Amino acid sequence: MATSKVSETFVVPIGPQHPALKEPGHFEFTVDGEIVTNAYVRLGYAHRGIEKGAEGRNYIQSLYLTERICGICSHIHATAFALTVEKLAGVEAPPRAQAIRVLVAELERIHSHFLWLGVAAHESGFDTLFMYSWRDRETVMDILESLTGNRVNYSANVLGGVKFNVDNEQADAIRKGLEFLEKRAHHYLDVVINEAMFLQRTRGIGTMTRNQAEVMGAVGPTARASNVPRDVRVEAPYAAYKEYPINMVLDTRGDVEARFVVRIKELFECCRIIRQILDTLPPGELTTRVPRKLPEGEAVMRVEAPRGELFYFIRGNGSDKPDRLKVRTPSINNFTTVIKTAVGHQLADIPMILSGIDPCFSCNDRMVHIQNIHKHDENWMTWEELRRYGIEYYRRIRK
Amino acid sequence: MNITMTIILTILGLILFTAALFLLGLAYEWVNRKLLALLQNRVGPRWFQPLADIIKLLAKEEIVPKGVDSRLFIGLPIFALAGGLTAALYVPIAGIAPAFSFPGDLIVTIYLLSLLTMCMGLAGANTMDRFSLVGATRTLTQLFSYEAPFMLAMLGPAIVAKSWQISVVADYAASRWFILTQPIGFLVALIGLMGKLELPPFDAPEAHTEIVAGALTEYSGRGLALFRLGKDVELVIGLTLVAAFYLGGVANPLWFLVKTLALLLVLAGLQSLFARLRIDQTVGLWWRFGTLLVLVQLLVTFLLQRFIL
Repeated sequence: MATSKVSETFVVPIGPQHPALKEPGHFEFTVDGEIVTNAYVRLGYAHRGIEKGAEGRNYIQSLYLTERICGICSHIHATAFALTVEKLAGVEAPPRAQAIRVLVAELERIHSHFLWLGVAAHESGFDTLFMYSWRDRETVMDILESLTGNRVNYSANVLGGVKFNVDNEQADAIRKGLEFLEKRAHHYLDVVINEAMFLQRTRGIGTMTRNQAEVMGAVGPTARASNVPRDVRVEAPYAAYKEYPINMVLDTRGDVEARFVVRIKELFECCRIIRQILDTLPPGELTTRVPRKLPEGEAVMRVEAPRGELFYFIRGNGSDKPDRLKVRTPSINNFTTVIKTAVGHQLADIPMILSGIDPCFSCNDRMVHIQNIHKHDENWMTWEELRRYGIEYYRRIRK
Repeated sequence: MNITMTIILTILGLILFTAALFLLGLAYEWVNRKLLALLQNRVGPRWFQPLADIIKLLAKEEIVPKGVDSRLFIGLPIFALAGGLTAALYVPIAGIAPAFSFPGDLIVTIYLLSLLTMCMGLAGANTMDRFSLVGATRTLTQLFSYEAPFMLAMLGPAIVAKSWQISVVADYAASRWFILTQPIGFLVALIGLMGKLELPPFDAPEAHTEIVAGALTEYSGRGLALFRLGKDVELVIGLTLVAAFYLGGVANPLWFLVKTLALLLVLAGLQSLFARLRIDQTVGLWWRFGTLLVLVQLLVTFLLQRFIL
């Protein structure tokens, strides 16, 4: 994903291993003194072959596989997969299940945004905010654990519904937790828009105009901070978002401060939706039956992950395994914006701009697909050739 | 015989003094880290952690990277620590009278304290590593921004005491709390100390989310241990100087502990409050506000002394 060729002399490499990065990615910033004059990104250090892996597993196994694409937004991946499979199978999960899916998704968004708040504060050297926001995040983690039994990969979904119910006692516990979280979010919003020293690091940094954001295809809070009204929950409501409509949070400024403000204001929106769901949870079944073998055909699904639009494509071939699974995560769209907005800023602002999109590296790592497969050159191998090469390679190094 | 005894005693005294200073420095580093941790809602390190870190680093292999002047690479940490330790001889640490004293030793001490920063900058510039080079540039840039205001802030009490000898100023300040008459000087001295020690929010030279460990990125083992010890020693000296000049002196070990630890608490609070300043913001802060404020105060002090007192 090179945007331009790096030829100047003083290049500061960030990654694949670097304290600012929590996952492997490689960035090269050409600097003139402290000013960044050119930027380059290379991804693909954590490719895990999940799409290929899903082809060898049946739909139920693949559900758990896709949940592990991202450690932070695991539920939304499983939800997207389950919704796509249900679409392909022509069934629909019962309303109560859909509402619980949204409930967990919004709780997950709270956890993800609190986590991001901490990480972004840490990148600016504001470790106190980092520690405090991560402490408060424990509340929502505890809620998720009490609901689903897990803190990270909740595995709330099954094909055709959800695994667990929400009773009144749990609802009260969630309401109590939300009250605390909302209070804290108000406090953090106050800090983010009023703390002068912090504003020096965020205001006017990494500004992206609405036009730029649209051209580069930015998604999620990154785009909404540049006043691009783009939110799948509003554009194409899935699961129970038709019954529980979302108010889109927009900001016109497009800088890092705006991204802070948008994400924190989304927390209030999450709290509102969760309360609404808890108050009006539709009665009924939790699951519906989904056939083990899915018909031939294709289905796509778009959902709104905490980082932006998440896209799923499944092609069924009549068996119990997907013929092809394709996932496009939001970070891949947003990486270009880092490269574009970084130029002209100081080196010290780069971590803020980079973390401003809430990057998730291993989610978006993918294979390169060579278009012209008929032209046989040495860089191209068949599956059989690759296998043979691998065997010979390891035989060679063992000697 | 008598001379030999004196020499042996002096050397023994110096070794004991150094050892005690190391332990004091490590203890203060622990207090700082622990207070910062408590303010940030963390548990913080155990009491022996700084000492354990130093022992571990000393036991580790020291890697001299390619492309450096190895004599300089090994020598700079020693110089830095030696500078700090020498400065300690002129300062009334723990309420004990300084070992050496002569008119003008205040200037010498402040220069010796800068030696650590200079050595760190040189150490970064000496290596080929790009993070080190950026870190070294920032270290030296920061040195030029806080050094002048810090020195001017230290001169405030000295001008009133009409002496540039630390022990004389300390004696003069023992009965007067200069923090009341020169509050700006106190503030600038304290914040200048934070800049000197590269504590947050002035930690741009070693901002690890940008440039890993700044100038010291290539250092491991002994070199890193010595630099860290140097910083700890400088922390103690800096706190002692500020307490002695501005907080009514450090007449005895108890007062020394109370006053320096109170200062450390303030430092920890300041460290936890702010986001990291960019290097241009640091320079701007010091030259636009720090230096000007302290100059105004110096002017007022001068005028008062000349025409009223």
